[in-house]
Amino acid sequence: MNFELSEEQKMIQQSVERFVQENYDLPKRVEISSKDPGYSKDYWGSMAELGWLGLPFNEEDGGFGGNQIDTLVIMEQFGKGLVLEPFLANVVLGGGAIQMGGSEELKKEILPSLIEGTKQVTLAYAEQQSRFDLEDVATSARLDGDKYIINGQKSMVLNAESADHLVIVTRTSGGQVDEEGITLFLVDSDTKGLEKQNFPTVDGLRASEITLENVEVGIERIIGDIDKGFEILKAVSNNGILALCAEAVGAMEILYKDTVEYTQQREQFDHPLSDFQVLQHRMVDMFMEYEQCKSLLFRATMETIQDPEMAQKTIHALKHLIGKSGIFVGENAVQLHGGMGVTEELRIGHFFKRLLVIDSQFGNADFHLDKFTNF
Amino acid sequence: MDIELSSEDLAFRDEVRAFFDENKIKEGEDYFSWRLGWFKKAREKGGWDVPKWPAKFGGPGWTPTQHYIWEQETARATIPFDLPFGLGMLAPILMSYGSKEQQERFMPDIRDRKVNWCQGYSEPGAGSDLANLKTKAILSDDGTYYTVNGSKIWTTLAHVADWIFCLTRTDDSGIKQQGITFLLFPMKQEGIEVKPIITLGGSHTVNTVHFTDVKVPVENRIGEEGKGWTYAKGLLEHERTGLAGLSKSLVEVEQLKENARSVQRGNGTLMDDSSYKSKVAELEIDLMATEYTELRSLANAAAGEELGPESSILKLKGTEIKQRIQKLTVEASGIYSPAWGDGGIGFPFAKGGTGGYLNSRYFTIYGGASEVQKDVIAKKVLGLTKGSKK
Repeated sequence: MNFELSEEQKMIQQSVERFVQENYDLPKRVEISSKDPGYSKDYWGSMAELGWLGLPFNEEDGGFGGNQIDTLVIMEQFGKGLVLEPFLANVVLGGGAIQMGGSEELKKEILPSLIEGTKQVTLAYAEQQSRFDLEDVATSARLDGDKYIINGQKSMVLNAESADHLVIVTRTSGGQVDEEGITLFLVDSDTKGLEKQNFPTVDGLRASEITLENVEVGIERIIGDIDKGFEILKAVSNNGILALCAEAVGAMEILYKDTVEYTQQREQFDHPLSDFQVLQHRMVDMFMEYEQCKSLLFRATMETIQDPEMAQKTIHALKHLIGKSGIFVGENAVQLHGGMGVTEELRIGHFFKRLLVIDSQFGNADFHLDKFTNF
Repeated sequence: MDIELSSEDLAFRDEVRAFFDENKIKEGEDYFSWRLGWFKKAREKGGWDVPKWPAKFGGPGWTPTQHYIWEQETARATIPFDLPFGLGMLAPILMSYGSKEQQERFMPDIRDRKVNWCQGYSEPGAGSDLANLKTKAILSDDGTYYTVNGSKIWTTLAHVADWIFCLTRTDDSGIKQQGITFLLFPMKQEGIEVKPIITLGGSHTVNTVHFTDVKVPVENRIGEEGKGWTYAKGLLEHERTGLAGLSKSLVEVEQLKENARSVQRGNGTLMDDSSYKSKVAELEIDLMATEYTELRSLANAAAGEELGPESSILKLKGTEIKQRIQKLTVEASGIYSPAWGDGGIGFPFAKGGTGGYLNSRYFTIYGGASEVQKDVIAKKVLGLTKGSKK
């Protein structure tokens, strides 16, 4: 049992940290976010060159054979700069699903170009009515000769605007909320009948609503087995949660540290704000929540690597705590920055917005608390 | 980074379990002779009777992982009670600051559980602001003994203690952290009066202790005169990390859930009540996080780093968790929660439930109140000192 990063992981950590420091000050982020495609293609190319996009993939698929800890290391640093490049959508979600369930042909076709940064993938799972329930899938896929016909709608699909392919979660049998009967397909985004409605999200990223009208897809594009897609979806969602929570921990670190620094500089009533005990204790609370989140992140990540089934309870615990504590830290960072905290000029508010969005992804704090009680 | 236990660690865990299993108290066996026998056998295992002592002083010299395993297993097993005062509080001071003679004189009796110690720190005018203490110790003209006068308060188990380790004031000319002297002396002697304080839960654990012209030989002084604050501060940090009691809380949370499942509510049990079970879940999640905060802190300590900033969180979070367990126990007993004492009224688990809850309020007060802990974190970890301007 140990909490030390390996030498390789420490090197990656340093290199991502440096990248974020050099390239991600607030004006730069705002500039990148406001222009299409909502991230920097140059940065994406550098990330591919540095090997980050291939880190968690198997070596035979062109990756480096890393695991969720490598992803944690990257995402935590990304969280400190609110990095816009679609690492989560491509590497953890879309690419993750293909890695887990794709045929050899599919993996060969998609993963090397994803790792090189030339092609992009994402995961389309949620629907208007599903809220946070992964198994609530109404979008249907009907067998028609040697292909499937997909009809339905997908919601809040991250990075769909730039994705060349989408992993689409469909229902091939069973009732709308059955875990059995869910099938994943890889669909090219220029397929006839697939429409995207792109929009910005609160945190400066992009998402899309997708409609699917008689979209045809060959049976060779199935990821995993027919009707058995739920297990893959769940595993990908768990990895998504771990990655998001690592990013949240990075963001919380910036928030509490920026707040400490600001209160030491800002003077009111002839004192630096940091002299006031009521503010000191609030910052201690923020710091403690950050540390507790970090502890639970390490725990959930290491347990997932050791035994994903055993880790499920901890993952619910983690997403609950990150949601709750992330918003606590964000709200208090804004509060302690006073009027400046509610402006777009300081980075505080931007980190807060990202934490709000993270709470809404893959189940919010209440959803996971409820799941936790069923264990 | 991984949580896999090595084969050595797994073997160690099995060995610990086997030891606990073989040495359970037998039916009809006298508790106190079993207790002493248990410690003797633990000692033969290679210092298992003093798990936290370093190997140099006869402890087992375990790795952090082994300590963690031991903690986990002790929480679940039937092992004899122990008091922290001698073993966990005074012994580390003796190891760091006591003379060789003092170590040889006091440590064997501590180890054999022969002498009960109590801690003479707080005073009526010195609670969280401990350095404000006034109990006077005046050195005799020939330099052979001190005469101690004053009062201590909240002294846990002073009424059964044989000895006290006591902070006294030998000089009040400088700042209040200076001029404090650390003395050891027997409790059963003329000039010492112990009076009980009954706490909200109706129990007698703490006391006031009055000293009138108590004579203490100079060889009972730890270290130098006037340096007692430095010695005590080290101990306080020791005490704080030990106060989290997380393994025990883990077991208590399991018990809490079992209790709630025995309480009927409509067609189900209290654990089907969404508001109650959410509170239990939030408690459990905080405990899961704090457990790993403790592990991270242990790992840092083992890597030779100072106790990291994580350790400062442990007392705060750990004691809060213990209080929440008590509170939810009272809630579970519902209409029976007002029943006072152990009269066997209501649910079996509710025995003294409200009393336990009321007494648990001191968890966030003793060993430095939570607010003082936050001051310490603000200053030491966040660097928020008065008038600081970067």
